[in-house]
Amino acid sequence: MSGLIINELTKKYYNKIALRNVSLNFEQGKIYGLLGPNGSGKTTLMKVVAGLHKQTSGHVLINDQVLSYKTKSYVSYMSTENYLYSSFKVVDILKFYKDMYKDFRYDYALNLLNDINVKLDYKVSNLSSGETAKLKTVIALSRDTDIYLLDEPLNGVDVLARDTIMDIIAKSYGENKIIIISTHLVSEIEKVLDTVVFLKEGAVELFFDAEELRQERQMSVEGIYKEVFGND
Amino acid sequence: MEFNNNIPIYLQVIDKIKQDIVSGKLKPGDKMPSSREYSYELGINFNTVARVYKELENEQILFTKRGLGTFITESREQIEDLRYRMAKNLIVSFIEGMKQLGYSKKDMIKFIEIENNNIERIE
Amino acid sequence: MISLIKYEFIRKYKLVSMILITILALNLLLLTKGAGGSMLFLVVSLSALFVFYLVDIIKMYSDDLNKKTGYMLFMTPNSGYKIIWAKLLAAIIEGAGLVLIYFIFILINGAYIVVSMGDQIDYSQIVRGVNQLLSGTFGFNLGHVLVLLIAVLAFLIAFITTVYTAMTIRKSIFSEIKFGGLFSFIIFLLINWLLSLVTDKFHDIMTPYYDSINAVSNAGNISAGGLALILLPIISVFIIQAIVLTGFSGYLLEKKINL
Repeated sequence: MSGLIINELTKKYYNKIALRNVSLNFEQGKIYGLLGPNGSGKTTLMKVVAGLHKQTSGHVLINDQVLSYKTKSYVSYMSTENYLYSSFKVVDILKFYKDMYKDFRYDYALNLLNDINVKLDYKVSNLSSGETAKLKTVIALSRDTDIYLLDEPLNGVDVLARDTIMDIIAKSYGENKIIIISTHLVSEIEKVLDTVVFLKEGAVELFFDAEELRQERQMSVEGIYKEVFGND
Repeated sequence: MEFNNNIPIYLQVIDKIKQDIVSGKLKPGDKMPSSREYSYELGINFNTVARVYKELENEQILFTKRGLGTFITESREQIEDLRYRMAKNLIVSFIEGMKQLGYSKKDMIKFIEIENNNIERIE
Repeated sequence: MISLIKYEFIRKYKLVSMILITILALNLLLLTKGAGGSMLFLVVSLSALFVFYLVDIIKMYSDDLNKKTGYMLFMTPNSGYKIIWAKLLAAIIEGAGLVLIYFIFILINGAYIVVSMGDQIDYSQIVRGVNQLLSGTFGFNLGHVLVLLIAVLAFLIAFITTVYTAMTIRKSIFSEIKFGGLFSFIIFLLINWLLSLVTDKFHDIMTPYYDSINAVSNAGNISAGGLALILLPIISVFIIQAIVLTGFSGYLLEKKINL
């Protein structure tokens, strides 16, 4: 059995509880939307799966293996923050990934960046926020791996670039892959999603097939989101 | 293609394909893009497209040739039948809607004739 | 492991180049002030390199633990042990490199002093020439200097590992408690205090060893080799300390890290 299994995951910080007994089962060949307002636990969940934060209690199984440095090779995480070495040129970042990850598709990334006009010899610190977003997305999706965690890939990105990024995400679909996208911009991505997961204050509020939701509620996922969370 | 996120997307794609077949945009025996390609084209989820193809195959409007792809049915009967069914749906909706508005059968038919003439004059 | 060490250096090569060029420029400037300038340079540059080394090594790790750019490193499928050992090795390589560079500066400036005093110097025998200068003037030679520099390096590295451990504790077991930073600093002080106790005790135990060396060498006149023997125990302590603390930090990184 493969995939991503999260079992009774809890993450506490000294002043708050970020995740409460979250249990989720992610299947291969699906694109998931992880939706919820700021502070609902989406980022924390991704960081635990990516191995950057240790959970307080609960289990995570990736491809039947318990979280460890080894499972990091099955996960490609794109954080909202500026985590790329700012003094590096774009092409240096690609080389870093090529050196560090066996599954990194260097040429694919190179060509894709050229196609979307991200200059390879620019320093990361000199890229605009849209270009940075594109770069982070391309790098994350250029790894040929099992689980992709994209945290707000459309944040701070202008409308035109959003289409580009959605395009890249859609093309990354694979029947052995799990893609999990977290975002506020529900209306833009909902037609790409198989299943939506709503996180509210660290707990799973809803876990449903997007089309079934539309059928049953005769509403868009965005509409349901607004109902559940109020106007966010 | 623009989608209405309030209705299941697979239904909208099915409708579109049916429309295209009946209107002749898609010809009998035409090859449909692979599920993957089609999902890129439309910008929607791959599994949604897979479902569309499956449902249309069940309705015998599409068929799959192993290793070659998915094709529009070559059966003229199927297509005629589809056209008939779509037309019938339209008519049933029309009749029910007009009844709600209080129109009798005679008035409905007269209305159709008048509007049809108007439209033909414009064309 | 090699990749990890490689990137430790790639990330800092600009800074290191700038520092070295500055030091070189400083040397050239001070050379114009004669022999005194050379000696001043050697003192100043040693302090500068000392400070730079400490700050650079500590800052690299601190950035990786505290800044978001640390994700680059910690998302890679490397165990916490590998990451911290790579940093230790990089620190050793950088330290050794700086010791070597400083040594070359000693030779250059030493030769300059010899020449400025009017003596001849055979550049193919530069080491001997500088050695003669040093022994004549100060009573020690380049061998002593090298041994001392190595001892200082060992000390610095051992010290750095205590800082590493405290920082790692801050980002692991104390990451989710209030005043975690304060507690980590207290732990840092504790570690250093404990280590000083250990080394004191160690020196007491080693007294017979030191006595035996004294007995063999002439009173007040130790060879470079003799100096090495004297410093060997304390250097060993530093090495053991570095290894133990690095192992512990590795364990924390592996099991308990919270970025």
